[in-house]
Amino acid sequence: MRFKHMAIIIGAAYGVMAILPLFVGDIKFVMNILIMCLIWAVVASCWDVMMGFAGIFSFGQVAFFVMGAYCSGILAIEYHVTPVLAILIAGLFTGGMGVLVGLPCLKLAGPYVALVTFGVHMALQPTLRGEIGIALGSGGSVGLLTIPPISMFGYTFSSANMVPTFYLTLLVSLACALTIMLVIKSYWGTAFLALKDSHDFAMSLGISAFKYKLMVFALTSFLTGIIGAYYGHFYGVVSFRLLDLDLFSILMVMMLVGGLGHFPGAIIGAFLVVAGSEFMAPLGAYRAVTMGALVVVLVLALPNGIMGLFMKNNAKKIYGS
Amino acid sequence: MFSEDTILLLYEITDVIIAGLSMGSVYALMAVGMTLVYGVTKAFNFAYGDFFNMGGYFAWILIFGLGFQFMGYLGVLIIVMPLMFAVGYALEKLMIAPLRKREDWENKVMMLTLGLALFLTSLYTVVFGVRMKSLPPIWEGTLEIGQLVFAYQDIMIFVLSLGGIGLLGWMLNNTRIGMAVQAVAQNPVGAKIVGIPKERIFASTFAISTVMVGFGGILLSQKYFINPMSGGTIMIKAWVVTAFGGMGSIRGGLYAAFIIGMMEALVGWVFGLSYGIIALFILLIATLVFRPQGLMGKGG
Repeated sequence: MRFKHMAIIIGAAYGVMAILPLFVGDIKFVMNILIMCLIWAVVASCWDVMMGFAGIFSFGQVAFFVMGAYCSGILAIEYHVTPVLAILIAGLFTGGMGVLVGLPCLKLAGPYVALVTFGVHMALQPTLRGEIGIALGSGGSVGLLTIPPISMFGYTFSSANMVPTFYLTLLVSLACALTIMLVIKSYWGTAFLALKDSHDFAMSLGISAFKYKLMVFALTSFLTGIIGAYYGHFYGVVSFRLLDLDLFSILMVMMLVGGLGHFPGAIIGAFLVVAGSEFMAPLGAYRAVTMGALVVVLVLALPNGIMGLFMKNNAKKIYGS
Repeated sequence: MFSEDTILLLYEITDVIIAGLSMGSVYALMAVGMTLVYGVTKAFNFAYGDFFNMGGYFAWILIFGLGFQFMGYLGVLIIVMPLMFAVGYALEKLMIAPLRKREDWENKVMMLTLGLALFLTSLYTVVFGVRMKSLPPIWEGTLEIGQLVFAYQDIMIFVLSLGGIGLLGWMLNNTRIGMAVQAVAQNPVGAKIVGIPKERIFASTFAISTVMVGFGGILLSQKYFINPMSGGTIMIKAWVVTAFGGMGSIRGGLYAAFIIGMMEALVGWVFGLSYGIIALFILLIATLVFRPQGLMGKGG
C-alpha cells in the first residue's frame, strides 16, 4: 500500500475518533470504550508489524503489554516515580526484554519462535503471582491496585475527566501509529519485507537479518510497553488476568479483521472489534466461545481481512474485470 | 542404621520418582503424537492440549453422564478412541486442508488452531463448569514391596502409555498405512508419484495424533483432574518435550519425556508446583540455544 493511502486511512480513522466525543462526551461508559479502542489499536498494530511485516511469528505481545503495565505501576507505587517518566522507563525496559526474548528467536524457525514467545507469556503469570513477583512488588495474586493517574503541568488525567484523557490517549495512540507507519515505509520496513519474502536473497544483498529482526523486537515491544504502561496509569488497576487467553484472542481477532500484514487494517480492526465485543457482552460466558469460533472462521473465510476486501475492489477497478 | 528422617526422605524421593515416571510416560505419548503430526504434515496444532482434555471429558461423560459400566476402562477406550479419531479427521479435512493451498499456510494454521484452542477451552468452561472433574482410578489398590508402596494406578498408566507408543511404532513400521505415513513424511512429492493419497494420509496422521493425546488425557485425568483451562499448559509441555527430544524422532521424544517428567516432579517437590512451567521454559531456551535440533533430532 502506498504511503499516501496509508496516511489517508490513518487520518480518517483517527479523525472520526477525534470528533466522536462531541456527541458522546458525557457518557462515561462509551468514552471508556473509545479509549480502549485507541489502546488496543496500538497493540494490534505492533503485533501486525511483527507477524505481518517481519514475518516473525511471535505470541508474546500481550506479555510485553503486561510487562510494561507492571513495570510502570511498580515504579510509580514503590519508588514514587512521576507517571510520565515511569511510562518511558517501562517502555525502555520492555524494549530491552523484547531484545532478550528476540535473541534466542533469531536462529529459530516459525513454530519454535511461536513456542518461545508463547512460553514467555505462559511463564509470566506464575512469575508475577509467585514469590519472585511479590518480591518485586507485583502484589501477588491481587495485582497492582493503586497506580496513580498521569498528571502533567498540574493537570490530572484520570477517569474523572474523560474527555481530556481521551484526547491524550488519542495523541499517544496516533503518535505510535505514525511511528509504525514511518518505520514501515522507511528503509527498515523494506528490509523487513525483503527478509520475510526471501530470507536468503535479502541476506545476499547485505541486509542483516540479525540487526533487523532484533530491531523489530525492540521497536514493537517498546511501543507495546509504553501503551501498556499508559493503560495501567489510566485504569489504576493491573492484574495478571490480562494474561488470560481471552484478551490474547481478541487481539488476534482485531488483526484478522483488519488483515494481517495490511498495516492500517489492524487499527480499523481494533476499533471495530472493541466496539463489536461490547455488543456481544449480553452473551456472557459464550463471548469467549464466539471469539474463538470467530478466529477460525476469519482465518478460513477472510484471509486478508477488511483491507483485503478493499484491495480486491481496487484491483477489479484497475484491471476492469 | 539410618535415622527415621533419612528413611522418610527416601520414601518421599521414591514417591517423586514414581510421579515422574508416570507423568513422563504420558508426556511421551503426547510428544510422540505431536512429533508425528508435525513431522508428517508440517501443521502445528495449538489446540493439542484441548484434545487432551477432550479425551478426559469424553470418558467423564461416558462414566458419569451415561453411567457406562461395560468392562471398565476397556469399554471406555473402545468407544472414545474411534470418536477422537473421527474428530481429528473431520477437523483436518474441514479446517486445515483448505488452508494448505494458501501462501504462508503454516502461520495461518497456527492462528486457526489457536482460535480453536480458545473455542474449546471456553466451551468446556461453559458446558462442564470451571470446577475440575475427576475420573475413577483405572485400577484401585496398591502394591507393597516391603515398606515401599506403589499404586496400581501408576503402574497401569506407565504400562498403558508405553504400550500405546509401542503399538504406534509397530503400526508405522509394519502396516501399509504406517509405511504410507512414513513415505509422505520423507518425500511428499515422491509419495504422490507412487500413488499414495497424500490428503488422506495428512488427515489420518492428524487423527492419530488426536487419538494419542486423547488417550493420554484419559490416563492422566484419573490421577490428576480434568481442568478446562489447562489446555495451553499441556500443549506447551508436549511441545517442549518434542523440541527437547528432537523433531521427528520418536526415540528422542521418549527419552525427553522421561527426563522432563522427572525434572517436573523434582522441581515441584523442591520449589512448589507453580515453578514447574518456569523450569520447563528455562530448559527449552537452553535446548534451543545450545542444541537447536534437540537430543536426537537431525538438523534444526
